[in-house]
Amino acid sequence: MMNKLKALFCIIIPIGLAFLFNTKIGSAPPVLKFLNPFMGFWQNAENNHFMFNHKVKIKGAIDNIEIVFDDKMIPHIFAQNDHDLYLAQGYVTAMHRLWQMDFLTRFAAGRISEVVVSEPARESDRYQRRMGMVYGAEKSLKGMMVDPKSKEMLLAYTEGINAYIKTLSHSNYPIEYKILDFKPENWTPLKCALLLKQMSAVLAMGSDEFYMTNILEKFGPEITKDLFPDYPYKEDPIIPVGTKWNFSPLPIPKTPESFIAAQTGDVRTKEKVEGIGSNNWALSGSKTASGFPILANDPHLELSLPSIWYQIQLHAPGINTYGVSLPGAPGIIIGFNQKIAWGVTNVAADVLDFYQVKFKDSSHHEYWYNNKWNRTTKRLEVIKIRGSKDLIDTVFYTHQGPVVYLQKANFAKAGNVPVGDALRWIAHDESNELMTFYYLNRGKNYDDYKKALTHYTAPAQNFVFASVDNDIAITPNGKFPLKWKNQGKFILDGTDPAYDWHGWIPAAHNPTVKNPPRGFVSSANQSSTDQSYPYYLNWEFAPYERGKRINDRLGAMNKATMDSIRLMQTDNYSILAQNLLPTVIPILNTDHLNATQKEALSYLAKWNKRYDADEIGASVFEIWTKRLAFDIWDDEFTVKGVPMRYPSRDRTVEMILKEPAARWYDNVNTSQKETLSDLVIEAFKYSCDSLERRFGPINKDWRWSNVKQTNVPHLAKIPGFGSKVLQIGGAKSTINAISETNGPSWRMVIELGKNPKGHGVYPGGQSGNPGSKFYDNMIDTWAIGQLYDLLYMQTPDDESGKIISRLKISK
Amino acid sequence: MVFIVIAILCFLLQMIAPWWVIIVVAFVTCGIIGKTGKIAFWQSFFAIFLLWIGYSLFKSLPNDNLLASRVAAMTGVKLWWILLLITGLISGLVAGISGYCGYHFRMAMLAKKTDDKIA
Repeated sequence: MMNKLKALFCIIIPIGLAFLFNTKIGSAPPVLKFLNPFMGFWQNAENNHFMFNHKVKIKGAIDNIEIVFDDKMIPHIFAQNDHDLYLAQGYVTAMHRLWQMDFLTRFAAGRISEVVVSEPARESDRYQRRMGMVYGAEKSLKGMMVDPKSKEMLLAYTEGINAYIKTLSHSNYPIEYKILDFKPENWTPLKCALLLKQMSAVLAMGSDEFYMTNILEKFGPEITKDLFPDYPYKEDPIIPVGTKWNFSPLPIPKTPESFIAAQTGDVRTKEKVEGIGSNNWALSGSKTASGFPILANDPHLELSLPSIWYQIQLHAPGINTYGVSLPGAPGIIIGFNQKIAWGVTNVAADVLDFYQVKFKDSSHHEYWYNNKWNRTTKRLEVIKIRGSKDLIDTVFYTHQGPVVYLQKANFAKAGNVPVGDALRWIAHDESNELMTFYYLNRGKNYDDYKKALTHYTAPAQNFVFASVDNDIAITPNGKFPLKWKNQGKFILDGTDPAYDWHGWIPAAHNPTVKNPPRGFVSSANQSSTDQSYPYYLNWEFAPYERGKRINDRLGAMNKATMDSIRLMQTDNYSILAQNLLPTVIPILNTDHLNATQKEALSYLAKWNKRYDADEIGASVFEIWTKRLAFDIWDDEFTVKGVPMRYPSRDRTVEMILKEPAARWYDNVNTSQKETLSDLVIEAFKYSCDSLERRFGPINKDWRWSNVKQTNVPHLAKIPGFGSKVLQIGGAKSTINAISETNGPSWRMVIELGKNPKGHGVYPGGQSGNPGSKFYDNMIDTWAIGQLYDLLYMQTPDDESGKIISRLKISK
Repeated sequence: MVFIVIAILCFLLQMIAPWWVIIVVAFVTCGIIGKTGKIAFWQSFFAIFLLWIGYSLFKSLPNDNLLASRVAAMTGVKLWWILLLITGLISGLVAGISGYCGYHFRMAMLAKKTDDKIA
């Protein structure tokens, strides 16, 4: 008996150990599965010193394909036809970025719970589903499959990714799969659509109408109009003031008489984040040293590793283009070819609206619209949850779109909530953005550019353009709904057809300018036009400071070279400081200040208004002005249970400069009456005191870069996989708009000419593998504001650059 | 002997098999040729300890321990060579225990047979 028991234990213990170390416990990976040097993470350590050439056979390839990797691991693809070109793009992108594209599309589709079990993951999945991300992607995919060209792109790209996935075994899965303990899944064209939708979600999902409606209810129309005006106080629009519109506008739909904001349910979307911060511009040859145009672009996003973009050169008959692609979408989004260059920044057009829906009863099967009851449609969202039962979520759709209920934890009880709001969002419409990039990648001149733009829906972008024929142009471009003025500034009435979108602004009527007399075009997310544009795009865009600084500098520039443009991209000069300091500094009376505050003031007085890394004045100014806005608005605009937002920075500056006696300076929570001076002094002391608490009396630690702590985190925020803290300057209101983790995700300067010369860098590297030296090798160059020369090859045997390896694909 | 058999078998099998073959190999090897419990444990331990550390280094050194340093930061142990030691210690311990169990399993079965015969 004893021996039987002993034998049993001797069997159970090893089996138990096998289970224990093969199972994911909490967020920790399965310990020995992960540590196993034969298949676990050690396998992801890439050899830094030897690169090899490879050959693979892919059944779907039509002809031979050669991929050349330069010394930054950037692939240059040489294919004999379009199909093979996109197949190879899919293959190499997956080779470097498989986990990133897989994870992002799972996130977009609301499928994170399949991999990560947590409350935030479930909430995120619900949110993505209920906002109609998958619904939109399905529609978009339909649009992309109609055109044979984009269909071929999608299918070949998908084929390439799957060909790569097929070569993998557990030991060479990207490391994040091993940490989170899941497997790559086959790619589908829907995933490409999801990825593009996710871009729309990042750039065009913000919405303030819930806040605005609350503000309107609390303060009434007059104050709302005063504090949230329809056009900024200071502006320098993208299309230069005075540009004539060469079309006769469609009739603008009439504003319904009942235009008062409706009561609203408790729906919250995320607040528009200020100025993702992108810039682009193009100079005509008349302003450059070479006599040919120079084009620059730096799209700003929430930075992450692996890099958001993937550099690539695509060469096949009829196409030779270089630039950055989005891992998960075929083609090049921002780049150049032999003849033209193009870039994008975001347009803050209002393409997302909420409609108050009146349901017949709590079944939500019918809603009141156009004086009768209409049926809603139902969409079941099945959220698979790792290790437990599926969660089935029902979303009701009106003709406007999905009804988004409470997003918070009590969502399960959303059935008790009688009213929700229906979401009308451009990203739910059928579209085919791929064709825009298909044509731009192959474009030769201004006409090709114009044609390419007509295919574009969302997220709306300011497409800047330059060609070797010395044409420059910019077009805030997208599919814009035809609206009455301010339609969508507040929540809309979902029962009345007058509140619907009334068709579209014709693509040919999108604001655009070609070869303006000033010799340059530019954009920095600010207002698209002056007030003469006949259509309504939005009442608020990003503040004008960056655009103003760009236009000031370009206006003064002659004989521009790549270096003068590069330095401009890292310009830290603050127009905000220029506008505010002359008014606020004199208010500070040194009598009230302690020693540290006096010293800080002297730094500020000497400050050159640049957010450079070493500036102490910048740190003081930044916290001071943030606090000042808080002091002015918080007492009125922060009310528990009634989410609102502050008036814009532009309006705040206008008030400080022009309305010293405004009622808003008074803190309504105190008995005495505060003035602007009181607040300016309080905010200044607050700024100095908070810096002193953090860093002690004024010393080197007060420098701006140390206060800001810029870094590039890993996409899934895995510690150790992000960058170190970078000691660099830049701030929101400057051209070099770098905050803690938001900044230029790609900096590019293209000199057109007989042979185009490209320069670019992103904060990361080509490889998505944290165990590769190409994971973050470009970060330091990015941080010091340098650019790499981009290798634009003409043939696979081009010897103008350094080649480190080759990959040959055959049938 | 146990040491060499386990090290070679595991090295070959791990090219295709999941990590837990080390448990099977240690158990079976010690179950067949283990001489004492002490030998079964320590030789299994060192066979896997050295094999895993050796193979980890084989992957990590050409990488200048870049990845190992990142993973060390992720897990909180900070230094890459501590992570390496942990890799060797846990796997070695698991193999050692398995070998020890394998040896004692045989002992138990043999004893049982003798018991049966006597009975």
